Amino acid sequence: MEKDGFFNTPQPWNSMFGMELESQVSEMNCSPEQLPNCFLSRNWDHSMDQSDPFESALSSIVSSPVNSHSGVPTPAGENVVLKELIGRLGSICNSGEISNSTNTSCYNTPLNSPPKLNLSIMDHPIPGSLPIPRNHQLPPAPFPADPGFVERAARFSCFGMNESEFPHMVESGKLSRVSSKQCFKTAELSNPIPASDKKFSRELDNSMEESSLSEQIPIGETGIKGQNSNSNGRKRKAIPKGKGKETQFSTVSAIDNKTIGEPEKEESDAKRSKSGEEENGMEKEKEKEKVKEEGNQNQNQNQKQTKEAAKLPEPPKDYIHVRARRGQATDSHSLAERVRREKISERMKFLQDLVPGCNKVTGKAVMLDEIINYVQSLQRQVEFLSMKLATINPRTDMNMEALLLKDTRASMLNTMNHLDAPAQPFYGLVHARPENPLTSMMHHGSNMKSSQTHGFGEASAFWENDLQSVVQMGFSQNQGPIFHGIMGTGQMKVEL
Amino acid sequence: MSPSQQPTSTNPSSLKNQFAHRFIRALKTLNHTKTGAAHDHNQMYRRSIRVKIASYTAMASVVGSRRAWSRAVLWKIIKRSRNQGLLLRKRKRRNPNPKREDFNPFRNSGQELKLRKLVPGAETMDSWCLMGETADYIKCLVAQVEVMKTLVDLYSIT
Repeated sequence: MEKDGFFNTPQPWNSMFGMELESQVSEMNCSPEQLPNCFLSRNWDHSMDQSDPFESALSSIVSSPVNSHSGVPTPAGENVVLKELIGRLGSICNSGEISNSTNTSCYNTPLNSPPKLNLSIMDHPIPGSLPIPRNHQLPPAPFPADPGFVERAARFSCFGMNESEFPHMVESGKLSRVSSKQCFKTAELSNPIPASDKKFSRELDNSMEESSLSEQIPIGETGIKGQNSNSNGRKRKAIPKGKGKETQFSTVSAIDNKTIGEPEKEESDAKRSKSGEEENGMEKEKEKEKVKEEGNQNQNQNQKQTKEAAKLPEPPKDYIHVRARRGQATDSHSLAERVRREKISERMKFLQDLVPGCNKVTGKAVMLDEIINYVQSLQRQVEFLSMKLATINPRTDMNMEALLLKDTRASMLNTMNHLDAPAQPFYGLVHARPENPLTSMMHHGSNMKSSQTHGFGEASAFWENDLQSVVQMGFSQNQGPIFHGIMGTGQMKVEL
Repeated sequence: MSPSQQPTSTNPSSLKNQFAHRFIRALKTLNHTKTGAAHDHNQMYRRSIRVKIASYTAMASVVGSRRAWSRAVLWKIIKRSRNQGLLLRKRKRRNPNPKREDFNPFRNSGQELKLRKLVPGAETMDSWCLMGETADYIKCLVAQVEVMKTLVDLYSIT
């Protein structure tokens, strides 16, 4: 009997679907009553965390019975089987929902189908399962909150089905996600509130309506909330970019581009939409620049910025209020990391101003290169200049002191006209002692003519002239020897 | 040098002033001690190194303890003077409060590493502090170079 065949095929997997299929196939061939109850009860008892093996098993099962069954000999039999199965699933779920609102099923997913449901389910859909095919419309009961179940079903529907067929299959049950798009959409759409599901699918059908997503949120998010951490961890880089849009809309449109999704996708979407909703209600404390979203495992350490997304509400932070970006993890690690990154980029901007010629450069790596080159060049300059200083003079530092000590602003200006060196140091040097009693004298010195071959010589001459008076004015003591040194200097051109 | 003892704002002109003061004083000292020995190449080389050290020290002392790089420079100088003739060992101070986000895998690789080697005392810093120290270091280096250029020009006008 095909029953045995069924049992043999899905080795890793005993889930109800195998039984379902088997029963369905058997129904096609024989009386519905015999098989189902015991199998279904067993199936329903199994936990649904066999989703992955479920998928593979389902595909194998689907193909195997197709091959092995005489009852489904046509090449399209596989599709038929799939459709039927999915339709059945939908119907079962629906009826399950109808009959049992409160579920104590052992399934992990919200697929609530207690064992006792089986009988009713089996009785009900069995006759109708066969005719399920394309245009089966399940009773519009609210879909049970079994997103995992549904999306799995949706995924299966993709298996060997043409896209054209998909919509039809999708129609059945709550899988009525529109379809010409990928299974992923249905998967994610299955998450939201059942009541608005149909509406959501319709909207989605037209164009990824963002508002619908947000509407889906309320219950979806509560359901998802507990899984936030998980979804964070499961968040993948495939999560779409919100190109410049900082709203939930971007994610919705991004969803469009996705291929087959996985359970976490819906969660992340719901989370995104949830965050979008919360964002509306939340006050923004600090706007941060967009930071890419990464997997949870990368958030602590990853410096790479992979994606941008709209905002997510932030978890309460004590000191720096950061708004999480949409589509990003909201755990403290990632937020702290984002804060850090932004601080660093702030400093990079500051450095850009310091380093000449870095205005056009963007990007941390290039900037760092420029900074490194600049620091190296400055250090080399210091070295070169020190060598020059060492060779130039052993003795002329005396006048330097004099230069420093005098407030010869005016003469400095004169000299600065002639000197190539940046005027500021001298100017600054002159400024050193604004209260200097020499100031008046120095100003007096500004009357001297400035046309000389060496402005410096002029200045030095001027200083020499005034040195005596300076000394007599009781200049600070450490300048005493300097004046002697200056007097003794024969290096300056003195133009008297 | 009483007026220059005031805490400098990081005003570049005051920075230059104070640096110039200290540097010239150091040069004077150097010149006094090494008069007449400047013609030998070796001597010249050593003198230039001393001048360089004097310049860095002067700048670091102007900045004082406010910056990690200046502290590192001064520390190096002190160590060097203590270890004259002995092997100089670089003293790496562990960052006492490594921030959590410091677990940065890119920290000791590539450009940041180069930068850390260039900026004194930046080995154990986290990235954010590194940027700040680099900025301050660049500013002081620029001031240093300007003053020294001016000095060279002044000296060369003979």
